[in-house]
Amino acid sequence: MVNVSQHELVPEHTLLEEDELEEVLEEYDIDRTDLPKIKRKDPALPDEASVGDVVKIVRDSRTTDTAVVYRLVVE
Amino acid sequence: MTEFDVSADVEAVVEDRDIPEDLREDVYRVVEERSLSVEAADEIAKAVENRYRETRVEPLDPVGTVSAQSIGEPGTQLTMNTFHYAGVAEIDVTQGLPRLIELVDARKTPDTPMMTIYLEDEYAESRERAHEVVWQLEATKILALGDVSTNVADMNVSIDLNPDTLQERWPTVADTGEIAGEIAEIIEDSLGVTTIQKGTNVQFGPEEPSYRDLLQLVEELREITFKGIEEISRVVIRKEDVETPEDEEREEFVLYTEGSSFGDALEIEGVDASRSSCNNIHEIHRTLGIEAARETIIEETNDTLKEQGLDNVNVRHLMLVADMMTNRGEIESIGRHGISGSKESVLARAAFEVTVNHLLDAAIHGEVDDLNGVTENVIVGKPIKLGTGDVDLRMGSLSKSGEQAD
Repeated sequence: MVNVSQHELVPEHTLLEEDELEEVLEEYDIDRTDLPKIKRKDPALPDEASVGDVVKIVRDSRTTDTAVVYRLVVE
Repeated sequence: MTEFDVSADVEAVVEDRDIPEDLREDVYRVVEERSLSVEAADEIAKAVENRYRETRVEPLDPVGTVSAQSIGEPGTQLTMNTFHYAGVAEIDVTQGLPRLIELVDARKTPDTPMMTIYLEDEYAESRERAHEVVWQLEATKILALGDVSTNVADMNVSIDLNPDTLQERWPTVADTGEIAGEIAEIIEDSLGVTTIQKGTNVQFGPEEPSYRDLLQLVEELREITFKGIEEISRVVIRKEDVETPEDEEREEFVLYTEGSSFGDALEIEGVDASRSSCNNIHEIHRTLGIEAARETIIEETNDTLKEQGLDNVNVRHLMLVADMMTNRGEIESIGRHGISGSKESVLARAAFEVTVNHLLDAAIHGEVDDLNGVTENVIVGKPIKLGTGDVDLRMGSLSKSGEQAD
């Protein structure tokens, strides 16, 4: 199987710890279900991620250095 | 840190300002060009910072509408006829408006699917090694391998395989007879016939002598893919200057394919699975995930506009479109079957397309509209929740000391 995370189009996906998540939700004043979603079977997702977890994605941005986004794992 | 030749002091004052990376580089460039003092650099950085803050999107700005207009206007200048040879070798690629529509509609397969295949080390350096990958990719049909003749008298089909072609396409097998055997096996499996193989000649016929069955077999024989990937009809090799991650230029062979099967292609030995790409956003989504799909949508829409000389569309608009399309973890189209069709408000949906159907369905299901969005409030004539429309003001007064008087 091809290692998906090596591809230049795939940014780094890391699982977010619960306490870090709290901080993020507080900062933006949102619920976790308001976050963009990512499917459980998404090939770029870390293996240990399960539904309800939040992944932190660090993209190379076109407008700044890096952009951090979060996605909620669903279904 | 920066590639420009500026003093550490200049860097310190510029880094201090709240401005994005690309603008910061611009400042450094100007400072270097005019060899300015630290004070001047600070002045410039300050001016840039102010201007940047002014131009940032304000809360409650209708960014979606602005993006729609910013893509829509140049869209009117895109070519409407589909085909022309785009930069890439002799491969036809859909361009202009049809391509843009195809992208935002998230079509399951593009009109002209194609892949850009980069190669690993030694495969990228020699044309012969690159060709090995080509044979793994390109679908090989029987007509490319030899001559097929139908003998009606004996009720059989005879294939004279060309030994040179066999050797070329199966470089790992030395004996052409062995290759012919493999081919015979594939024919047996796919057509359900028994074959007789002598050297590079393969013969077979229908079980019962029947003229129709014989012709049918020949038809089916032509459809069999003996080697390569079914979907890929053609591969073009090009020698190109490629920038390596270390910012060096080097020449390497790059493959362009007509037709695509991204997941299968990445598995092939010699294919660089870290750089190769594909113009089908769904295939990218399946093999690399939603984030890569987002990236590809931006890249493809941007390239489509650039190709037509409309590169002054700010990439942020395209990023917003891609963000919306990938927000739910799968690719959704923009139109009525996608994002616009899944809006909560009945009135907003009805205002977009096929008004009567939406109103009728909503009536049948007894839907309620809470009037939270923009469109529905415009329809009923209430203030919309955008800009100043979403701000509630209350009058009050303060005492001289600054305490709330009320």
